[in-house]
Amino acid sequence: MWNQVKQSLQSSMGRAMEMLARLLPGILAFIVALLLFLFIGWILAWIVRRILAALGFDERMSRSAPTMADWSPRLTPSQLVGRIVFWCFLTAGVMVGVSAFEAGSSENVVSGWILGYVPHIVGAAVLLLIGNMLARYVSRSVLIAGVNLNLSYARLLSMGVRWMILVITAAMVLDHLDLGSNIVELGFGILFGGIVLALALAVGLGSRDLVSRSLEREASRVVAEEQQPERVHHF
Amino acid sequence: MAGIEFSEETRQQAERIGSADIVVGVAGPVAADAVRTRAETVFGLLGPSFTSLRFVFAWPSSAADAPAASLAADQPAALTFFPFASPAHAEGELWAGVSAQQRAVLSLAAHLNARACIVLGADLAALHAHPLQLLAYAVLERQCGLVMPIYNAAKYDGLINSGILAPLNRALYGRRIRYPLAFDFAASGAMCARLARLESHQNNHGGSGLLWPVTAATTQSPQTTIGQVHLDVHHPTASGGLDLSAVLAQIVGSLFQETEACAAHWQRVRGSQPVPVWGAAAAEPPEGQPVDTRPMLDSFLLGSRNLDEVWRLVLPPNTLLDLRRLTKLAPEDFRMPDELWAGIVYDFALAYRLRTLGRAHLLGALTPLYLGWVASYIREVSVLSHTDAEQRLEQFARVWEEKKPYLLSRWRWPDRFNP
Repeated sequence: MWNQVKQSLQSSMGRAMEMLARLLPGILAFIVALLLFLFIGWILAWIVRRILAALGFDERMSRSAPTMADWSPRLTPSQLVGRIVFWCFLTAGVMVGVSAFEAGSSENVVSGWILGYVPHIVGAAVLLLIGNMLARYVSRSVLIAGVNLNLSYARLLSMGVRWMILVITAAMVLDHLDLGSNIVELGFGILFGGIVLALALAVGLGSRDLVSRSLEREASRVVAEEQQPERVHHF
Repeated sequence: MAGIEFSEETRQQAERIGSADIVVGVAGPVAADAVRTRAETVFGLLGPSFTSLRFVFAWPSSAADAPAASLAADQPAALTFFPFASPAHAEGELWAGVSAQQRAVLSLAAHLNARACIVLGADLAALHAHPLQLLAYAVLERQCGLVMPIYNAAKYDGLINSGILAPLNRALYGRRIRYPLAFDFAASGAMCARLARLESHQNNHGGSGLLWPVTAATTQSPQTTIGQVHLDVHHPTASGGLDLSAVLAQIVGSLFQETEACAAHWQRVRGSQPVPVWGAAAAEPPEGQPVDTRPMLDSFLLGSRNLDEVWRLVLPPNTLLDLRRLTKLAPEDFRMPDELWAGIVYDFALAYRLRTLGRAHLLGALTPLYLGWVASYIREVSVLSHTDAEQRLEQFARVWEEKKPYLLSRWRWPDRFNP
């Protein structure tokens, strides 16, 4: 009995070791490919940054496209380009590594599935990143502009814009990942339509008096300001 | 020509004129006929000490209808009119357009090898004999490199200047200049060439677009004598139709950019020096009607309720605490301490440099705080005379100087004070 158990365990261990031995070259190839691309990406990003700095790219961008600094306030344009180069190489390294894993291990099921799905994941990640950045930027812009226009509901407006963009982004990401496409479309339609309907009802029925009072107050304020001579000059 | 690329026709006209003693240039488009008549009258009143000088009176004109330079023969002083074709890029919104035209005039003066250049605002409010005499006297007789005006402004005029530009400039560069960004000023020939070269330098190195003559004079050539003259001139700038946050963003953003560019210079400056002043201060402007500060206070309170998440990125906790305390005060007790306001502007200058958040957002978030300071200032000086209000501004500017070590510390070691 004990011999049989021992034999069975040895046989399982042997198979596991054999599987590991078959996978090891693939894993090694994956790591080598990833490290190689990491290194190339790092070097290229550094070279790109140096070239752009020598060309005065940051100064040119700050003069011609000041909004770029608003999108990426903590990074200078040349740093941003350097990072994009680096991450492109890292992504390419992952894909090449997966191919190398497949070639090294003679197992093509995993790599085939991953390689087929990687573009979806990359696309979804990019969408998520852009959507988040857009939501943050636009909501902050709306908030600051609203406050400077003396709108008491500036925060509400900003939150509404933020969630609107995030909901659209989430729907696009899920759609891009091919996850529950029908449910997502249906859910998004219901949610989005619901938000618009709720806002319309709130403004049209619930807050009718509030809105009319607010508009009247705003109109009377504008008239009063027009009639009043300007007494304060900021410049 | 130095700095700005003028049209071929303008260059040829400048060649024909050759040189001038004083170039008087208008920084903005004007009606040619009206300006000629007025200039002839004014130059006729300049007096005998100016008769031997060759004047060129220049103003930007559209390329199509720019007439040739012409001589006003009947004048006591040799006066040549020079309506030059405005350079293509000498345009811009708000103050950027004024700065572009000022640069064009300075560049023209440098090309004509003028001994002095007097830049006037496009409303021609300073086109009178006395202001021209004073400005020319300071440059030609007192050897000033740059002469800035002291306008006879009312208590509630030029509040961006009084609240931010003047005290920050004084604290940073150590010269007590009342109006560092002015419609009218004068520069010596050497300074014109320097400012014209600065223009091309700024274009190549991402300059702010606005011309800060005092900053340029103090940083590029610290030995330059800067003077001030009292001008009884009032530029009617209607700010009612302008978006305050846009104006504030452009002017203060440009000042912060200059602060960043000149950091190596101003970090060595301690205290401030008075600059020579010529001319007599005009009679006090009439006392204006009381101003209702309630709308400004409301803007500040609205900002404090909604922009907390943005301010938190820029301001240290103790400043946020002080601001929160201010929001709890009754309107009649509302007063923003000078130290607090100076610290806020310093913190925003640092955040501008560190790109803590988008620069458009950063400058937009400054507007409610600025309105809070305006409300506090108006409440305070409403009971003071014009002279007392000026003394109050002097005391205010000294606080900025005393607070400068805070800016230096944060500028050098931002992480140590990271909010």
